[in-house]
Amino acid sequence: MTSLILRTQAVAALARARGDMLTLATMQAVEPWNALGQADGRNFNVAGCMGSAGSIGLGLALARPRERVLVLDGDGSLLMQLGTLASVGGLRPGNLYHAVFENGVYETSGGQDVPGRGRADLVQLALAAGYRHARRFTTLEQLDEGLDPSLRTLGPVFLSLVIAGPGTVPVPVPPVPSKATQIENMRVALLADER
Amino acid sequence: MAHSLDPGAMLAKIRQAHVTHVITVPDTHQRTLLGLLAASADPQLITVCTEDEAMGVNLGLFLGGRRPMLLIQNAGFYAAMNTIRGLSLDARVPACMLIGEFSRDPAVAPADHKSRLVHLLEPTLQAWRIPYRRLDNADDLTAIPQAMDQAWRDRGPTALLVGAPTAAAA
Repeated sequence: MTSLILRTQAVAALARARGDMLTLATMQAVEPWNALGQADGRNFNVAGCMGSAGSIGLGLALARPRERVLVLDGDGSLLMQLGTLASVGGLRPGNLYHAVFENGVYETSGGQDVPGRGRADLVQLALAAGYRHARRFTTLEQLDEGLDPSLRTLGPVFLSLVIAGPGTVPVPVPPVPSKATQIENMRVALLADER
Repeated sequence: MAHSLDPGAMLAKIRQAHVTHVITVPDTHQRTLLGLLAASADPQLITVCTEDEAMGVNLGLFLGGRRPMLLIQNAGFYAAMNTIRGLSLDARVPACMLIGEFSRDPAVAPADHKSRLVHLLEPTLQAWRIPYRRLDNADDLTAIPQAMDQAWRDRGPTALLVGAPTAAAA
């Protein structure tokens, strides 16, 4: 018996596996990520600029080569800056882990199909662009068995999390500081670690 | 106005500004400066596919405690305006941009240029309240560390308009 994955379940699996990773969350993953208390001083929620999470993750991974960086991205979001795959694949930061929730639609605008739905294979695109490892997860059993090892593999790693629905976000969702405050908090924490 | 800028002097000013990384989508006007940057590890040159990506990498490097700047072209500035809004202005992230004026004839004042690429740049920067300085002559290069410092002090974008091509490296 296999079980399809809900977004909240995939986010919970990433939260359990996170450890001390620096994280960037965007789009529909933000609310469940926040609800699980993951929006701490080592996290930045990328809001108000769809498509940018991957490139921000690339910059952060290059700036902090000794830390692992996890990006929680969406398929529609990634498609907006698809060239980021080539930039990541070219620079090949070994500490970058790029998880993409694939539901095939633009959820907030009404569920329209993303371009190439069912045909454009993001896992194959990532591998062709130069990611060292890429894997698609379609069941909870696969997540249980394979997520931790994938997050221990030398990056850049691309993880497609195929989700069958949003799931129910636990409430209440803790408040999160402004973008500028989140950025300053992470900078202060990381610069303090350097001293 | 000079017909070319000294890329070695520009690189010296970039280093004086303590820049750790230069993120670029290559610009025709600054090709010889890009050549010097590519041959040097200080600062590190990062080439990406679009100016949107460049703004994202800039934010990520800033998050990680580094001191990046951007080297792009006027056409790329226009292409990335929503990302500049989101990842620099709204997020309050320093983004000092060297912007090559593609299509600029150094002998013609920007406002008198027929090319919209050229004559719309300064009005656009003004409308967006992005501080800018012109790099037309050797004496202007002191503006590089000034613009970098202003971006960091004000936590936002600043622009340096490269009006003349950079000369062949010595």
